[in-house]
Amino acid sequence: MTQTNRNTILFISLIIGMLLLFLVNISLGSVSIPIKDVFNSLTTGNCSKETWQYIILNYRLPKAIAAILVGMGLSISGLLMQTLFKNPLAGPYVLGLSSGASLGVAIVILGTSFLPTFLSSILISSYGIVLASSLGSFLVLLAVLAVSQQLRDTMAILIVGLMFGSLTNAIVGTLTYFSTAEQLQKFTFWSLGNLGNLSWSSIAVLSICIGIGLLLSVFSIKPLNALLLGENYAKSLGLNYNKARLIIIFATSILAGSITAFAGPIAFIGLAVPHIAKLVFQTSNHTILFWSTMLFGAIIMLICDSISQLPGSDFTLPINAVTSIFGAPIVIWLLIRKRKMIG
Amino acid sequence: MKFIPNTLLYFLVLVLFIQCKDVAKKEAEITTAKNEIQYAKGLEIYNYEGFSVVKITNPWPDAKENFTYVLQQKNSIIPDSLKQFTTIQIPLKSIVVTSTTHIPALELLGVENTLVGFPNTDYISSVKTRKLIDAGKVREVGTNETLNSEVLIDMAPDLIVSFGLNNSNPTLDNLQKSGLKVMLNGDWTEQSPLGKAEWIKFFGALYGLNSKANTIFSDIEKEYNTTLALAKKATSKPTVLSGAMFQDQWYVPQGQSWASLFLKDAQANYLWADSNGTGSLALPFETILEKAQEAEFWIAPGDFSSLKEMSDSNPHYKQFDSFKNKKVYSYGVNKGAKGGIVYFEWSPTRPDWVLKDLISIFHPELLPNHKLFFFQKLE
Repeated sequence: MTQTNRNTILFISLIIGMLLLFLVNISLGSVSIPIKDVFNSLTTGNCSKETWQYIILNYRLPKAIAAILVGMGLSISGLLMQTLFKNPLAGPYVLGLSSGASLGVAIVILGTSFLPTFLSSILISSYGIVLASSLGSFLVLLAVLAVSQQLRDTMAILIVGLMFGSLTNAIVGTLTYFSTAEQLQKFTFWSLGNLGNLSWSSIAVLSICIGIGLLLSVFSIKPLNALLLGENYAKSLGLNYNKARLIIIFATSILAGSITAFAGPIAFIGLAVPHIAKLVFQTSNHTILFWSTMLFGAIIMLICDSISQLPGSDFTLPINAVTSIFGAPIVIWLLIRKRKMIG
Repeated sequence: MKFIPNTLLYFLVLVLFIQCKDVAKKEAEITTAKNEIQYAKGLEIYNYEGFSVVKITNPWPDAKENFTYVLQQKNSIIPDSLKQFTTIQIPLKSIVVTSTTHIPALELLGVENTLVGFPNTDYISSVKTRKLIDAGKVREVGTNETLNSEVLIDMAPDLIVSFGLNNSNPTLDNLQKSGLKVMLNGDWTEQSPLGKAEWIKFFGALYGLNSKANTIFSDIEKEYNTTLALAKKATSKPTVLSGAMFQDQWYVPQGQSWASLFLKDAQANYLWADSNGTGSLALPFETILEKAQEAEFWIAPGDFSSLKEMSDSNPHYKQFDSFKNKKVYSYGVNKGAKGGIVYFEWSPTRPDWVLKDLISIFHPELLPNHKLFFFQKLE
């Protein structure tokens, strides 16, 4: 079996797997709804109970779509970061991007007392939060990049990213110090991450943002492959390095920013999924990696969301806890593997 | 003229008696005094000649330890056995309290002018106390978790009434080390409506106003019980949903919590009245919709002040019958000058007002002339 055939089979099974998991995700939840009713509400709209139909169509369906969007977006932004910084440990979370987004959202939710009333009422709408968090992550990424121009060493850049993360976290901490209990509650729950509670209009906004981000990433596939060979080599191939880098940064920040705004800072997906894709497909070619990372991201996020709902019980887990259980072992394994290669 | 020698004789006998008394006897006396508290489970007050003993038996939920304080009037003698406890000179001339729920007690006792500091005064909504704040008589002393020690030490109030969330309260320990008197107040762990209200006696004891506090409380008690008897006449028991959603978790009060007991007393069928516990339950949206979609009333959906604000924050709210029929009642409308919610401040002290509000919501025919105080119907 050639590599191409193997990849085709893998891709087909991934797509089928994603569709199956999508249906499974919609069928499971704290209220047990018979499969027949699930299908009826999705197709004909004749569900035996009105509340069930509402739950399926307006709660679980947007949640499942959100899981797919978030999974795809975060994984791709992780892939872009890892290639751009030539660092297997890079990702939106590690580089302080999510912290930047948190800062933006914190200023909107917690800092309303410092803002004029007309502005705060605009900012508190879902679009305001998206704007603030995209802006926050964009600024942090730019700062990391400016420093990375000065520093060629990837480990140093990573530390700088973490420093920016600490810095923004400190500002968020200071803001929380001066906010009311209600604002704090709001912000705390936002920071635990969640996929539920997104209305169709939020899903639409999120889809547009993720769409733009993914489209920019598709255009970046060629430059990304060139970047693997090093910056100078890429330039000698006729690549406009600065332009390519700017597009990659913009794609990453719109992906990470919009996701963080709607679903909160979701950990590890961006870091771990690209590695899973690289392991399964055994290639560093971004033409293949792009699509496989996207599918794996969606699949893993759907699985995580189903687990976090603990089907049939009245308990739920924060999505962040579940994703980290997936992500942490992979990062540990990576570190060990890296150590071995150096040794 | 016969009574003078007599009195003198009695006095001599008494002096001798006191002289002969040993410490053990004193201890026995301390345990034989009558506890002044009926309803509150976390508070005990014993009054003696010239001093009283206050015990806080439940300073935080599931506390293993309790705190004893001795309140000493001027020039009175404290038995040796009580010297180990914190002694506070009363009546107080200056006080720092840390929760808005303490403010009504000070106002009702007429001693609000002794308040010299409060963490985050914006939360206070009472008009009398707000006047004092606006006149610059109440200083900001940090936030609850991290009281500003320097400011407090500089102010040197007679007493700081605070609360502990668990047994580690480093800030309070530090303040005590620097010679300030700190008392822990456990009113917030109290679950029964009258139990919470009875904490006014705690503040009464601090100002030597025990009898005034007792009178105020027994009036509230009488009013509450009369209203309770009235509620028993209700012919229906409407179903009630409570709480609101944060992200994808819905928080409802548990069955034995203070909020739930009120609903029971107001003859309503609160849908989670059977759940165990005194805190709140976190439930997924699906479960709530399944159970409470047809509930007739929705009480206390967070601090919203209009239906539009609710549906803007979460479109799922529109699915509930109570929302569709505009039977949502919130405490988020009645606010103080700086946005402090009146309900949070006054409801623990005036459970009778809360109960009247709820009865007039659920059974308007029983209280036709009642004007809602804490709750407002959302439009």
